[in-house]
Amino acid sequence: MGTATHCPYCALQCAMTVTPAAATGVAGPAADPPAIAGRDFPTNRGGLCRKGWTSATLLGHPGRITNPLLRGADGVHRPIGWDEALDLIAAQVRATREDHGPDAVGVFGGGGLTNEKAYQLGKFARLALGTSRIDYNGRFCMSSAAAAGNRAFGLDRGLPFPVEDLDGAHTVLLLGSNVAETMPPFVQHLAGARAAGGLIVVDPRRTTTADFTADGAGLHLQPAPATDLPLLLGLCHIVIHEGLANTDFIHGRTTGFKAVARSVASWWPERVQAVTGVPVHLLRETARLLAHGARHGGSYILTGRGVEQHVDGTDTATATINLALLLGLPGSANSGYGTLTGQGNGQGGREHGQKADQLPGYRKITDPAARAHVAAVWGVDPADIPGPGLPAVELLAELGRSVHTFFIHGANVAVSAPNAGEVLAGLRRLDFLVVCDFFMTETAQEADLVLPVLQWAEEEGTVTNLEGRVLRRRAAVTPPEGARSELWIMAELARRLDAPSTFSADPETVFTELRAASAGGLADYSGIDYALLDVGAALHWPCPAGSTGTPRLFRDAFAHPGGLAVLVPVSPAASNARDTLFTGPTLALVTGRLLEHYQSGAQTRRVPELAGAVPRAELLIHPLAAASRGIDDGGPVTIANGRGTVRCTARVSTAVRPDTLFLPFHFAREECANLLTSDSVDPVSGMPEFKASSVTVTAGTGIPAGAGAAHLVSL
Amino acid sequence: MNAAAPHVVVIGYGPVAARLVDELVPAVRRGEMALTVIGEEAAAAYNRVLVADLGVGRTTEEAISVSDPAELEAAGVTVLRGARVLRVDRARQRVTLADGPWLGYTSLVFATGARPVVPPLHGLNPDPAAHSPLPRGVIALRGLDDAAVLRGAVARRERVVVLGGGILGLEAALAARDEGALVTVVHHGPHTLGRSIDAGAGHTVAAALRARGITVVSDARAVGVEMGAGADGVPAFSALALDGGPAVEGALLVLSCGVRPRTELAEGAGLATGRGILVDHSLQAHHDPAIFAIGDCAEVRCLDSSCADCAAGTGPLGLIGPGWRQAEWLAAFLTAGAAAAHPLPAERAPVMMLKARGVDVAAAGDVAAGPFDDVPGLAVSVWADPEHGKYVKMGTRSGVLAGFISVGMPRTGAELTLLFERGAELPADRSALLRLDGPDAAPASPDPSRNVCRCAGVSGETISAAVAQGCSTVPEISAATRAGTGCGGCHGDLKALIEAHFAPA
Repeated sequence: MGTATHCPYCALQCAMTVTPAAATGVAGPAADPPAIAGRDFPTNRGGLCRKGWTSATLLGHPGRITNPLLRGADGVHRPIGWDEALDLIAAQVRATREDHGPDAVGVFGGGGLTNEKAYQLGKFARLALGTSRIDYNGRFCMSSAAAAGNRAFGLDRGLPFPVEDLDGAHTVLLLGSNVAETMPPFVQHLAGARAAGGLIVVDPRRTTTADFTADGAGLHLQPAPATDLPLLLGLCHIVIHEGLANTDFIHGRTTGFKAVARSVASWWPERVQAVTGVPVHLLRETARLLAHGARHGGSYILTGRGVEQHVDGTDTATATINLALLLGLPGSANSGYGTLTGQGNGQGGREHGQKADQLPGYRKITDPAARAHVAAVWGVDPADIPGPGLPAVELLAELGRSVHTFFIHGANVAVSAPNAGEVLAGLRRLDFLVVCDFFMTETAQEADLVLPVLQWAEEEGTVTNLEGRVLRRRAAVTPPEGARSELWIMAELARRLDAPSTFSADPETVFTELRAASAGGLADYSGIDYALLDVGAALHWPCPAGSTGTPRLFRDAFAHPGGLAVLVPVSPAASNARDTLFTGPTLALVTGRLLEHYQSGAQTRRVPELAGAVPRAELLIHPLAAASRGIDDGGPVTIANGRGTVRCTARVSTAVRPDTLFLPFHFAREECANLLTSDSVDPVSGMPEFKASSVTVTAGTGIPAGAGAAHLVSL
Repeated sequence: MNAAAPHVVVIGYGPVAARLVDELVPAVRRGEMALTVIGEEAAAAYNRVLVADLGVGRTTEEAISVSDPAELEAAGVTVLRGARVLRVDRARQRVTLADGPWLGYTSLVFATGARPVVPPLHGLNPDPAAHSPLPRGVIALRGLDDAAVLRGAVARRERVVVLGGGILGLEAALAARDEGALVTVVHHGPHTLGRSIDAGAGHTVAAALRARGITVVSDARAVGVEMGAGADGVPAFSALALDGGPAVEGALLVLSCGVRPRTELAEGAGLATGRGILVDHSLQAHHDPAIFAIGDCAEVRCLDSSCADCAAGTGPLGLIGPGWRQAEWLAAFLTAGAAAAHPLPAERAPVMMLKARGVDVAAAGDVAAGPFDDVPGLAVSVWADPEHGKYVKMGTRSGVLAGFISVGMPRTGAELTLLFERGAELPADRSALLRLDGPDAAPASPDPSRNVCRCAGVSGETISAAVAQGCSTVPEISAATRAGTGCGGCHGDLKALIEAHFAPA
């Protein structure tokens, strides 16, 4: 009776069964939401977290948008018909193109879109809109690790091995990843490492994940924010100097060792301690546990956003990969390196053309052969495909400047983009903003036109999970009257814009085209089809036609010509675009996720059980920092810097370093953490610096007593 | 190469010169600069900080290398190794090499480093210009040859005598002892690390050295080197003679008596020198804008007699970190010009950290005053636990660290280092910094809420109620409440709740 599908939230994509409450299967606002049950699957083994358990609450949510909404001159959004809405968009696109050229129309996609939608959105932007200006919120998640993976291995797949390979490992090093909150069922796969005393967590905060290292289960390294790169160079140094490197592997499967060895010679452990605050003995123990694990049972090194979301995120991920390569982990039987993808389709979403510099199949848009292949599948001249566009932060900075009409799909940039105050100003400078969503998010509220779209359990499609395995999402319930698939919207708009090629509203038809477009590319999906997925085939890309996929990459060779991995020397830049930290009374602000919420909170803040558990943002602050500022546990605080001001309540805890603050980024308006984050980016990946902002913190809300209530009401 | 491109000549090919050259390579590749680097040693630049580790066999020559001459030459850099500069002709902007040829320069950078001080002991020639090597069995542990000699002594588990109780001496002593040698440290004054730590810390460090089996001879004045017949009959070091005490016998004497900047070439060219080659805040030699000096040979002291930074200067710091920062800054200056370069910030007082396994010592700044000494504006707090080898001193002015010592407290030492370098204010409750190494440092639970199952958000009451209603296994509780269905970390707690319910009252 129930429908087998996968969770709408994170990249673990826990398997679940969705069973409509009523026999009719119609979930309307009055009906009970469908029942959710965990389903046995290698990744989640039947487990779900609180977000997954409550995910069906949103299907029949009373706040659901069920009509296109046009904003009137009075600023009020009012329902209009679909034909009117689509005609209006087409006219607006034509007008913008005539006035300013095709690149004045921009598109912003999301890592939560299915493969079909991500693929067709890239095609829609380039052929129907004729613009190069498309990028997506995955630029904020995966771009640094992707850039590092590509330059080291010649290919970027989050985990180049199935998650269950971690089960037998003796050592797992987690860098900047709080899996116990962000993907709780994943923690099952760390049991082996914990039992062996080999779980090592690097985080400035004593996270729930870090707490899993207690009682002899492993080590917690608590570096000062923005010092991950020196920390990793120090670990590489120790591996080389203590003779822990796997010399056979280095000689047989890599190039560049000598340059890397030279570059880390200057990062001896005491120097690293002085920069990071991590004692030398913990650095040495970490290196030794990794080396020991590599010889006994397996060692894995996994990165998360904590080390990647920096202006030197690509170099930090590269240093991590260098460490893994020195130890001989990647491509070996029971060890490896991986990055833990964040968003539900953060993997598939970065492979099929949503990215400013890519075409389907993880092809480079600047590569003539790639352009010719995709143009042939699309039935157009290669010259009709625009060149590379702008990465997300640069694209958002162009809103109302060179970009005048803008489409947003599956992203809530008013909350989730760095320096959100500037992004909001950019949205307000636009001539015309179209937002496709199912709730009136903070971004949708800024739209001239909001288009209601379908939720995860209302449509067919595929996503690619963190291990590169393609999964089927299935329709379990009937969507509300008035909401439409984004595929249908793109098809209708393409027709109105006289676009070349074809645009289908049918997911399987689009997937069939995606397979052809990806064939021969790095992320080759040509051997995957719905029928195979529907009988339970476990297919990991690359999966050329006729193959059974590649669960484990790099076993025989890396993806560079010649098959060798490349060790790339990296070092901290003499100067970079990061905020200057720790001047005067400032503290370093780190942002991140909570178990109860997801991304901008657009969905989870609307789930009563989750919003009830964590209704507001709380600033985590060390008792010493709180005491010197007169801040009480549970009291109001104001966090500010040159970019913005956040007001929320304080949670006083020794879980965070005394020089560091933690603020979750799920909340909006005066609690929006991204009002404080910087839009400075990594020069290679375009990844913004989310994880080290300089701020001041003061007790109170900065609102005079008596005026507070009135002020809060107006928000 | 553009014939009119400026020619930068670097004298010295140590780690600081190597950093400068690395930073200049892009300009060389672009044809905007010709670059020649002249090194006396045959080896490419290596990280001298790790020579002691090399000397005890903990690392390799390859691993401590920081430069690849072949790669530099492929980029267009001229690398002369085993070459000595005889003189600098500033009028003609030329350097003359020992074997005859000369090179013209547009800019000349002295990165000549420092050489070890040879103390005036009977049997040693203390003349820095001396060309005769140290006698057999005596090394200064500065170069790769010295490391090879030490490695032999350690491998043979011989008695090594270290003269000097400074940081480099102690590091060599501890490393040699750890790797199996017998070690005696002979030093001036009442305790080791005399310049960096106080008596309390000195006692604590001395105890740590003794616990490792290192013999320490304090308040000693060495007067001579005694030679005996070496293993193969050739005369070699046999003992260090002390004034008013028995000679200290050993097979190898390691001199660790400080270093002296190598300024003689600059002096010969008529450049102003003090403790090092005098340069201004642009690292430019006094009265010669074509000449620069960086690293151990350079002393920043500008011509402005009212400059506070220079008045407080203590000569070359002899540390690699400031040298590298100078190299990076000078590279930007030479490629982008004065207009583009931000002023080079004055170096903070350096933090001294002992590189030794299991003996954690960090110190910085002025640490002489005790808590009850009446020094205006200085507040000093001390924690001493000699039984457990722990000692911490913090001296603050207006709440900001003016100096600190941390012995045996790794995390505290690391955090004090960060606070000192940031100039950040210490917490009013200084004792908070002493607890970072304790088992209570981590919060009991990062989750203050009372949920037994965090992942599904299920409280203990809900689970107990389910047990009371008949659930007697973890799967039954999971089916009834969702508890235990996420990460599985609470399964033990669920079992405990079941057992508590069914346990006889």
